[in-house]
Amino acid sequence: MAGIVAHQSMETLHVTALHPLHVCHECDTIQRVPTLAPGTVAHCRVCGAHLFSNPRGGLNTPLALMLGATLLFILANAYPLITLDLNGLRHTTSLGGASLALWRNERPLLAAVVGFTTVLGPALLIFGTTYVLAALRWHRRMAGVATLLSWITRFQPWGMLDVFMLGVLVALVKLGSMAEIVPGVGLFAFAILIFVFAAAASTLDAHLLWDSYEDLR
Amino acid sequence: MRIYAEMAMPRGIDAGLTPCGTCGLTVRVTGSGRQYCPRCGSLIRLRKPDSIARTWALLIAAALMYIPANALPVMRSSLLGSESADTIMSGVVYFMHHGEWPLAAVIFIASVLVPLLKLLALIYLLLSVQRRSTIRRRERTRLYRITELVGRWSMVDVFVVALLAALVQLGNLAHIEPGLGATAFASVVVLTMFAALSFDPRLIWDHQEPSTDER
Repeated sequence: MAGIVAHQSMETLHVTALHPLHVCHECDTIQRVPTLAPGTVAHCRVCGAHLFSNPRGGLNTPLALMLGATLLFILANAYPLITLDLNGLRHTTSLGGASLALWRNERPLLAAVVGFTTVLGPALLIFGTTYVLAALRWHRRMAGVATLLSWITRFQPWGMLDVFMLGVLVALVKLGSMAEIVPGVGLFAFAILIFVFAAAASTLDAHLLWDSYEDLR
Repeated sequence: MRIYAEMAMPRGIDAGLTPCGTCGLTVRVTGSGRQYCPRCGSLIRLRKPDSIARTWALLIAAALMYIPANALPVMRSSLLGSESADTIMSGVVYFMHHGEWPLAAVIFIASVLVPLLKLLALIYLLLSVQRRSTIRRRERTRLYRITELVGRWSMVDVFVVALLAALVQLGNLAHIEPGLGATAFASVVVLTMFAALSFDPRLIWDHQEPSTDER
Protein backbone atom coordinates (compact mmCIF):
# COMPACT_ATOMS: atom_id res chain seq x y z
CA MET A 1 0.00 0.00 0.00
CA ALA A 2 2.85 2.33 0.79
CA GLY A 3 3.92 2.13 -2.84
CA ILE A 4 1.00 4.31 -3.87
CA VAL A 5 2.71 7.34 -2.49
CA ALA A 6 5.56 8.08 -4.83
CA HIS A 7 6.62 11.57 -3.86
CA GLN A 8 5.33 13.32 -0.84
CA SER A 9 6.55 16.87 -0.66
CA MET A 10 6.43 18.84 2.56
CA GLU A 11 4.20 21.49 1.07
CA THR A 12 1.36 19.38 -0.27
CA LEU A 13 0.80 16.21 1.64
CA HIS A 14 -1.62 13.92 -0.10
CA VAL A 15 -3.52 12.87 2.92
CA THR A 16 -5.53 9.96 1.68
CA ALA A 17 -3.27 8.54 -0.99
CA LEU A 18 -2.10 5.91 1.48
CA HIS A 19 -5.55 4.77 2.41
CA PRO A 20 -7.99 5.09 -0.44
CA LEU A 21 -10.61 3.35 1.68
CA HIS A 22 -11.57 5.23 4.79
CA VAL A 23 -13.83 3.96 7.57
CA CYS A 24 -15.75 6.67 9.43
CA HIS A 25 -14.96 6.64 13.16
CA GLU A 26 -18.46 7.80 14.05
CA CYS A 27 -20.79 5.73 11.83
CA ASP A 28 -18.48 2.99 10.46
CA THR A 29 -19.28 3.70 6.81
CA ILE A 30 -16.56 2.72 4.35
CA GLN A 31 -15.98 5.38 1.76
CA ARG A 32 -13.51 6.36 -0.88
CA VAL A 33 -12.19 9.83 -0.17
CA PRO A 34 -10.45 11.75 -2.95
CA THR A 35 -7.04 13.29 -2.36
CA LEU A 36 -7.71 16.56 -0.60
CA ALA A 37 -6.51 19.82 -2.04
CA PRO A 38 -4.71 22.03 0.51
CA GLY A 39 -7.20 23.95 2.62
CA THR A 40 -10.06 21.48 2.24
CA VAL A 41 -11.88 19.23 4.70
CA ALA A 42 -13.48 15.82 4.14
CA HIS A 43 -16.72 15.05 5.93
CA CYS A 44 -18.40 11.65 6.18
CA ARG A 45 -21.10 11.40 3.54
CA VAL A 46 -23.44 9.46 5.81
CA CYS A 47 -23.15 11.09 9.26
CA GLY A 48 -21.26 14.31 8.48
CA ALA A 49 -18.34 13.58 10.81
CA HIS A 50 -15.09 15.46 10.25
CA LEU A 51 -12.91 12.77 8.66
CA PHE A 52 -9.76 14.76 8.05
CA SER A 53 -8.43 17.93 6.55
CA ASN A 54 -5.43 19.00 4.56
CA PRO A 55 -4.53 22.39 6.03
CA ARG A 56 -2.57 24.84 3.94
CA GLY A 57 1.06 25.34 4.83
CA GLY A 58 2.05 21.70 5.39
CA LEU A 59 4.10 21.28 8.54
CA ASN A 60 5.84 24.67 8.46
CA THR A 61 2.89 26.80 9.58
CA PRO A 62 1.88 24.69 12.61
CA LEU A 63 5.54 24.27 13.60
CA ALA A 64 6.12 28.03 13.57
CA LEU A 65 2.96 28.64 15.58
CA MET A 66 3.73 25.86 18.06
CA LEU A 67 7.24 27.25 18.63
CA GLY A 68 5.58 30.57 19.45
CA ALA A 69 3.12 28.80 21.75
CA THR A 70 6.02 27.03 23.51
CA LEU A 71 7.71 30.34 24.24
CA LEU A 72 4.48 31.98 25.41
CA PHE A 73 3.62 29.01 27.62
CA ILE A 74 7.00 29.25 29.36
CA LEU A 75 6.50 33.02 29.86
CA ALA A 76 2.94 32.48 31.12
CA ASN A 77 4.25 30.05 33.75
CA ALA A 78 7.39 31.92 34.70
CA TYR A 79 5.86 35.35 35.32
CA PRO A 80 3.08 36.37 37.72
CA LEU A 81 -0.43 36.13 36.32
CA ILE A 82 -2.39 38.55 38.51
CA THR A 83 -1.66 40.65 41.61
CA LEU A 84 -4.42 41.59 44.01
CA ASP A 85 -4.01 44.90 45.84
CA LEU A 86 -6.30 45.70 48.77
CA ASN A 87 -5.26 48.96 50.39
CA GLY A 88 -1.59 48.15 50.02
CA LEU A 89 -1.92 44.50 51.01
CA ARG A 90 -0.78 42.50 48.00
CA HIS A 91 -0.99 38.92 46.91
CA THR A 92 0.28 37.52 43.61
CA THR A 93 -0.49 34.27 41.83
CA SER A 94 0.99 32.48 38.84
CA LEU A 95 -0.64 29.96 36.49
CA GLY A 96 0.44 27.06 38.69
CA GLY A 97 -0.64 29.01 41.77
CA ALA A 98 -4.30 28.19 41.15
CA SER A 99 -3.63 24.48 41.53
CA LEU A 100 -1.18 25.06 44.40
CA ALA A 101 -3.75 27.06 46.38
CA LEU A 102 -6.15 24.10 46.24
CA TRP A 103 -3.41 21.77 47.42
CA ARG A 104 -2.62 24.04 50.38
CA ASN A 105 -6.31 24.15 51.30
CA GLU A 106 -6.43 20.37 51.59
CA ARG A 107 -8.21 19.69 48.32
CA PRO A 108 -5.66 17.33 46.75
CA LEU A 109 -8.09 15.80 44.22
CA LEU A 110 -9.22 19.19 42.98
CA ALA A 111 -5.62 20.40 42.90
CA ALA A 112 -4.71 17.39 40.72
CA VAL A 113 -7.57 18.02 38.25
CA VAL A 114 -6.83 21.76 37.99
CA GLY A 115 -3.06 21.17 37.81
CA PHE A 116 -3.45 18.63 35.04
CA THR A 117 -5.91 20.62 32.93
CA THR A 118 -4.09 23.98 33.24
CA VAL A 119 -0.39 23.14 33.50
CA LEU A 120 0.59 19.50 32.92
CA GLY A 121 -1.90 18.69 30.13
CA PRO A 122 -1.24 21.87 28.13
CA ALA A 123 2.53 21.40 28.65
CA LEU A 124 2.29 17.88 27.23
CA LEU A 125 0.21 19.09 24.27
CA ILE A 126 2.37 22.13 23.48
CA PHE A 127 5.85 20.65 24.03
CA GLY A 128 4.82 17.26 22.62
CA THR A 129 3.32 18.68 19.43
CA THR A 130 6.33 20.94 18.89
CA TYR A 131 8.72 18.01 19.31
CA VAL A 132 6.71 15.78 16.96
CA LEU A 133 6.37 18.52 14.34
CA ALA A 134 10.11 19.23 14.47
CA ALA A 135 10.90 15.53 14.02
CA LEU A 136 8.51 15.20 11.07
CA ARG A 137 9.48 18.50 9.45
CA TRP A 138 13.18 17.64 9.35
CA HIS A 139 12.65 13.90 8.76
CA ARG A 140 14.47 12.95 11.92
CA ARG A 141 13.77 9.62 13.55
CA MET A 142 13.72 11.00 17.06
CA ALA A 143 12.79 8.84 20.04
CA GLY A 144 9.21 8.69 21.24
CA VAL A 145 7.50 10.35 18.28
CA ALA A 146 4.81 7.64 17.96
CA THR A 147 4.19 7.52 21.73
CA LEU A 148 3.91 11.30 21.94
CA LEU A 149 1.59 11.44 18.92
CA SER A 150 -0.85 8.98 20.45
CA TRP A 151 -0.67 10.78 23.81
CA ILE A 152 -1.39 14.10 22.13
CA THR A 153 -4.50 12.63 20.49
CA ARG A 154 -5.66 11.07 23.74
CA PHE A 155 -5.11 14.10 25.99
CA GLN A 156 -6.54 16.66 23.56
CA PRO A 157 -9.81 17.29 25.49
CA TRP A 158 -7.96 17.62 28.83
CA GLY A 159 -5.91 20.66 27.92
CA MET A 160 -8.19 23.47 29.08
CA LEU A 161 -6.24 26.69 28.59
CA ASP A 162 -9.15 28.35 26.78
CA VAL A 163 -11.59 27.43 29.55
CA PHE A 164 -9.11 28.72 32.13
CA MET A 165 -8.94 32.05 30.26
CA LEU A 166 -12.72 32.39 30.65
CA GLY A 167 -12.27 31.56 34.34
CA VAL A 168 -9.66 34.34 34.65
CA LEU A 169 -12.10 36.86 33.14
CA VAL A 170 -14.92 35.82 35.50
CA ALA A 171 -12.58 35.95 38.52
CA LEU A 172 -11.36 39.42 37.52
CA VAL A 173 -14.91 40.75 37.35
CA LYS A 174 -15.67 39.22 40.76
CA LEU A 175 -12.58 40.76 42.34
CA GLY A 176 -12.81 44.07 40.50
CA SER A 177 -15.40 45.41 42.92
CA MET A 178 -13.45 44.62 46.10
CA ALA A 179 -9.80 45.30 45.27
CA GLU A 180 -7.39 46.65 42.72
CA ILE A 181 -6.13 44.16 40.16
CA VAL A 182 -2.69 44.39 38.57
CA PRO A 183 -2.31 42.16 35.51
CA GLY A 184 1.13 40.56 35.30
CA VAL A 185 3.40 39.70 32.36
CA GLY A 186 2.15 36.13 32.65
CA LEU A 187 -1.43 37.21 31.95
CA PHE A 188 -0.47 38.98 28.71
CA ALA A 189 1.59 36.00 27.59
CA PHE A 190 -1.30 33.70 28.50
CA ALA A 191 -3.87 35.75 26.56
CA ILE A 192 -1.72 35.74 23.41
CA LEU A 193 -0.99 32.04 23.94
CA ILE A 194 -4.71 31.22 23.65
CA PHE A 195 -4.86 32.70 20.15
CA VAL A 196 -1.53 31.28 18.95
CA PHE A 197 -2.41 27.81 20.26
CA ALA A 198 -5.86 27.93 18.62
CA ALA A 199 -4.27 29.03 15.34
CA ALA A 200 -1.74 26.19 15.56
CA ALA A 201 -4.49 23.66 16.28
CA SER A 202 -6.47 24.82 13.26
CA THR A 203 -3.50 24.21 10.95
CA LEU A 204 -2.95 20.71 12.29
CA ASP A 205 -4.57 17.42 11.40
CA ALA A 206 -3.80 14.27 13.34
CA HIS A 207 -4.11 12.07 10.24
CA LEU A 208 -1.65 14.25 8.41
CA LEU A 209 0.87 13.85 11.23
CA TRP A 210 0.42 10.08 11.29
CA ASP A 211 0.81 9.91 7.52
CA SER A 212 4.06 11.83 7.62
CA TYR A 213 5.18 9.67 10.55
CA GLU A 214 4.62 6.59 8.37
CA ASP A 215 6.78 8.25 5.72
CA LEU A 216 9.54 8.70 8.24
CA ARG A 217 9.85 5.01 8.98
CA MET B 1 -15.06 24.16 1.25
CA ARG B 2 -16.37 20.67 1.79
CA ILE B 3 -15.64 17.60 -0.27
CA TYR B 4 -17.90 14.66 0.30
CA ALA B 5 -16.96 11.09 -0.41
CA GLU B 6 -17.92 9.92 -3.84
CA MET B 7 -20.30 7.08 -3.08
CA ALA B 8 -21.86 5.22 -0.21
CA MET B 9 -20.23 1.91 0.59
CA PRO B 10 -20.76 -0.92 3.08
CA ARG B 11 -19.89 -0.63 6.74
CA GLY B 12 -16.56 -1.47 8.27
CA ILE B 13 -17.88 -4.09 10.67
CA ASP B 14 -19.31 -6.12 7.74
CA ALA B 15 -16.16 -5.90 5.63
CA GLY B 16 -13.74 -6.54 8.53
CA LEU B 17 -12.25 -3.05 8.22
CA THR B 18 -11.92 -0.62 11.10
CA PRO B 19 -10.15 2.66 11.75
CA CYS B 20 -7.44 2.46 14.43
CA GLY B 21 -8.83 4.21 17.49
CA THR B 22 -5.60 6.15 17.99
CA CYS B 23 -4.12 7.02 14.60
CA GLY B 24 -7.10 6.42 12.27
CA LEU B 25 -5.32 3.98 9.94
CA THR B 26 -7.74 1.67 8.15
CA VAL B 27 -6.92 -1.81 9.46
CA ARG B 28 -8.16 -5.18 8.21
CA VAL B 29 -9.32 -7.25 11.16
CA THR B 30 -8.19 -10.86 10.84
CA GLY B 31 -9.00 -13.81 13.09
CA SER B 32 -10.19 -13.53 16.65
CA GLY B 33 -6.94 -12.88 18.52
CA ARG B 34 -5.58 -9.58 19.77
CA GLN B 35 -4.43 -7.37 16.96
CA TYR B 36 -2.28 -4.25 17.09
CA CYS B 37 -2.15 -1.31 14.72
CA PRO B 38 0.81 -1.72 12.33
CA ARG B 39 1.41 2.03 12.38
CA CYS B 40 1.01 3.19 15.99
CA GLY B 41 0.92 -0.09 17.93
CA SER B 42 -2.46 0.50 19.63
CA LEU B 43 -4.82 -2.38 20.34
CA ILE B 44 -7.36 -2.66 17.51
CA ARG B 45 -11.01 -2.85 18.48
CA LEU B 46 -14.09 -2.91 16.27
CA ARG B 47 -16.06 -1.07 18.96
CA LYS B 48 -15.13 0.65 22.21
CA PRO B 49 -15.09 -2.06 24.93
CA ASP B 50 -18.28 -2.48 27.01
CA SER B 51 -19.38 0.90 25.76
CA ILE B 52 -22.96 0.83 27.06
CA ALA B 53 -22.18 -0.59 30.52
CA ARG B 54 -19.22 1.75 31.08
CA THR B 55 -21.10 4.82 29.92
CA TRP B 56 -24.05 3.98 32.21
CA ALA B 57 -21.73 3.45 35.18
CA LEU B 58 -19.97 6.78 34.66
CA LEU B 59 -23.27 8.58 34.08
CA ILE B 60 -24.85 7.23 37.27
CA ALA B 61 -21.76 8.25 39.23
CA ALA B 62 -21.92 11.73 37.66
CA ALA B 63 -25.64 12.08 38.41
CA LEU B 64 -25.01 11.17 42.07
CA MET B 65 -22.19 13.70 42.36
CA TYR B 66 -24.41 16.35 40.76
CA ILE B 67 -26.35 16.58 44.05
CA PRO B 68 -23.46 17.52 46.40
CA ALA B 69 -22.00 19.64 43.58
CA ASN B 70 -25.02 21.92 43.76
CA ALA B 71 -25.90 21.58 47.44
CA LEU B 72 -22.46 22.04 49.03
CA PRO B 73 -20.60 25.38 48.95
CA VAL B 74 -17.95 25.67 46.25
CA MET B 75 -16.11 28.26 48.32
CA ARG B 76 -16.09 29.96 51.72
CA SER B 77 -15.05 33.56 51.93
CA SER B 78 -14.36 35.84 54.85
CA LEU B 79 -14.19 39.51 53.96
CA LEU B 80 -13.47 42.01 56.75
CA GLY B 81 -14.74 39.61 59.36
CA SER B 82 -18.01 38.63 57.65
CA GLU B 83 -18.17 35.00 56.59
CA SER B 84 -20.15 33.64 53.64
CA ALA B 85 -20.47 30.40 51.69
CA ASP B 86 -21.16 30.28 47.95
CA THR B 87 -22.81 27.52 45.97
CA ILE B 88 -22.85 27.29 42.16
CA MET B 89 -26.30 28.89 42.02
CA SER B 90 -25.46 31.69 44.44
CA GLY B 91 -22.57 32.60 42.14
CA VAL B 92 -25.07 33.07 39.31
CA VAL B 93 -27.39 35.08 41.57
CA TYR B 94 -24.44 37.27 42.66
CA PHE B 95 -23.79 38.40 39.08
CA MET B 96 -27.51 38.95 38.45
CA HIS B 97 -27.75 41.25 41.48
CA HIS B 98 -24.77 43.24 40.29
CA GLY B 99 -26.30 43.69 36.85
CA GLU B 100 -23.66 41.54 35.15
CA TRP B 101 -26.17 39.69 32.99
CA PRO B 102 -23.78 38.33 30.35
CA LEU B 103 -21.56 36.83 33.07
CA ALA B 104 -24.54 35.42 34.94
CA ALA B 105 -25.62 33.78 31.68
CA VAL B 106 -22.13 32.36 30.99
CA ILE B 107 -21.87 30.83 34.48
CA PHE B 108 -25.44 29.54 34.39
CA ILE B 109 -24.99 27.90 30.99
CA ALA B 110 -21.53 26.45 31.72
CA SER B 111 -22.15 25.30 35.29
CA VAL B 112 -25.84 24.42 35.49
CA LEU B 113 -27.30 23.89 32.03
CA VAL B 114 -24.42 22.13 30.25
CA PRO B 115 -23.80 19.40 32.88
CA LEU B 116 -27.55 18.72 33.13
CA LEU B 117 -28.14 18.65 29.36
CA LYS B 118 -25.05 16.50 28.92
CA LEU B 119 -26.38 13.91 31.39
CA LEU B 120 -29.78 13.91 29.67
CA ALA B 121 -28.28 13.71 26.16
CA LEU B 122 -26.10 10.72 27.03
CA ILE B 123 -28.99 8.95 28.77
CA TYR B 124 -31.14 9.51 25.68
CA LEU B 125 -28.38 8.19 23.39
CA LEU B 126 -27.88 5.09 25.56
CA LEU B 127 -31.61 4.33 25.72
CA SER B 128 -32.08 4.82 21.97
CA VAL B 129 -29.17 2.47 21.24
CA GLN B 130 -30.49 -0.13 23.68
CA ARG B 131 -33.93 0.07 22.07
CA ARG B 132 -32.28 -0.50 18.65
CA SER B 133 -33.79 2.67 17.31
CA THR B 134 -33.14 3.39 13.63
CA ILE B 135 -34.61 6.86 13.47
CA ARG B 136 -32.79 10.20 13.44
CA ARG B 137 -29.34 8.63 13.33
CA ARG B 138 -27.66 11.69 11.84
CA GLU B 139 -29.20 13.98 14.46
CA ARG B 140 -28.25 11.64 17.28
CA THR B 141 -24.66 11.46 16.01
CA ARG B 142 -24.59 15.25 15.91
CA LEU B 143 -25.97 15.38 19.47
CA TYR B 144 -23.12 13.10 20.54
CA ARG B 145 -20.56 15.28 18.78
CA ILE B 146 -21.85 18.43 20.54
CA THR B 147 -21.94 16.64 23.91
CA GLU B 148 -18.31 15.60 23.49
CA LEU B 149 -17.28 19.12 22.49
CA VAL B 150 -18.92 21.36 25.10
CA GLY B 151 -18.30 19.29 28.25
CA ARG B 152 -14.92 20.80 29.11
CA TRP B 153 -16.35 24.34 29.35
CA SER B 154 -18.12 23.39 32.57
CA MET B 155 -14.74 23.50 34.30
CA VAL B 156 -14.87 27.31 34.24
CA ASP B 157 -16.40 27.59 37.73
CA VAL B 158 -13.77 25.29 39.21
CA PHE B 159 -11.07 27.52 37.73
CA VAL B 160 -12.76 30.63 39.14
CA VAL B 161 -12.74 29.08 42.63
CA ALA B 162 -9.09 28.02 42.23
CA LEU B 163 -8.08 31.54 41.14
CA LEU B 164 -10.00 33.26 43.93
CA ALA B 165 -8.51 30.90 46.50
CA ALA B 166 -5.03 31.61 45.10
CA LEU B 167 -5.46 35.40 45.05
CA VAL B 168 -7.58 36.28 48.07
CA GLN B 169 -5.10 35.28 50.76
CA LEU B 170 -4.86 38.51 52.78
CA GLY B 171 -5.02 37.03 56.24
CA ASN B 172 -7.78 38.38 58.50
CA LEU B 173 -8.72 41.08 56.03
CA ALA B 174 -9.89 38.84 53.22
CA HIS B 175 -9.65 35.11 52.77
CA ILE B 176 -11.23 32.63 50.35
CA GLU B 177 -10.94 28.87 50.51
CA PRO B 178 -12.33 26.17 48.20
CA GLY B 179 -15.30 24.15 49.44
CA LEU B 180 -16.13 20.49 49.08
CA GLY B 181 -18.76 21.43 46.48
CA ALA B 182 -15.96 22.41 44.10
CA THR B 183 -14.46 18.93 44.30
CA ALA B 184 -17.90 17.37 43.72
CA PHE B 185 -18.52 19.70 40.79
CA ALA B 186 -15.15 18.95 39.18
CA SER B 187 -15.89 15.23 39.53
CA VAL B 188 -19.21 15.71 37.68
CA VAL B 189 -17.34 17.38 34.79
CA VAL B 190 -14.61 14.73 34.70
CA LEU B 191 -17.07 11.81 35.00
CA THR B 192 -19.34 13.11 32.21
CA MET B 193 -16.29 13.71 30.01
CA PHE B 194 -15.20 10.10 30.56
CA ALA B 195 -18.81 8.96 29.93
CA ALA B 196 -18.87 10.79 26.58
CA LEU B 197 -15.48 9.30 25.66
CA SER B 198 -16.59 5.75 26.50
CA PHE B 199 -19.76 5.98 24.41
CA ASP B 200 -19.31 4.60 20.90
CA PRO B 201 -21.37 6.58 18.34
CA ARG B 202 -21.10 3.70 15.86
CA LEU B 203 -23.60 1.83 18.01
CA ILE B 204 -26.21 4.33 16.79
CA TRP B 205 -25.67 2.99 13.26
CA ASP B 206 -25.25 -0.70 14.11
CA HIS B 207 -28.90 -1.64 13.62
CA GLN B 208 -29.14 -1.07 9.91
CA GLU B 209 -32.32 -2.82 8.80
CA PRO B 210 -35.29 -0.51 9.33
CA SER B 211 -37.18 -2.06 12.21
CA THR B 212 -40.70 -3.18 11.40
CA ASP B 213 -42.08 -1.26 14.33
CA GLU B 214 -40.66 2.25 14.58
CA ARG B 215 -40.59 2.40 18.33
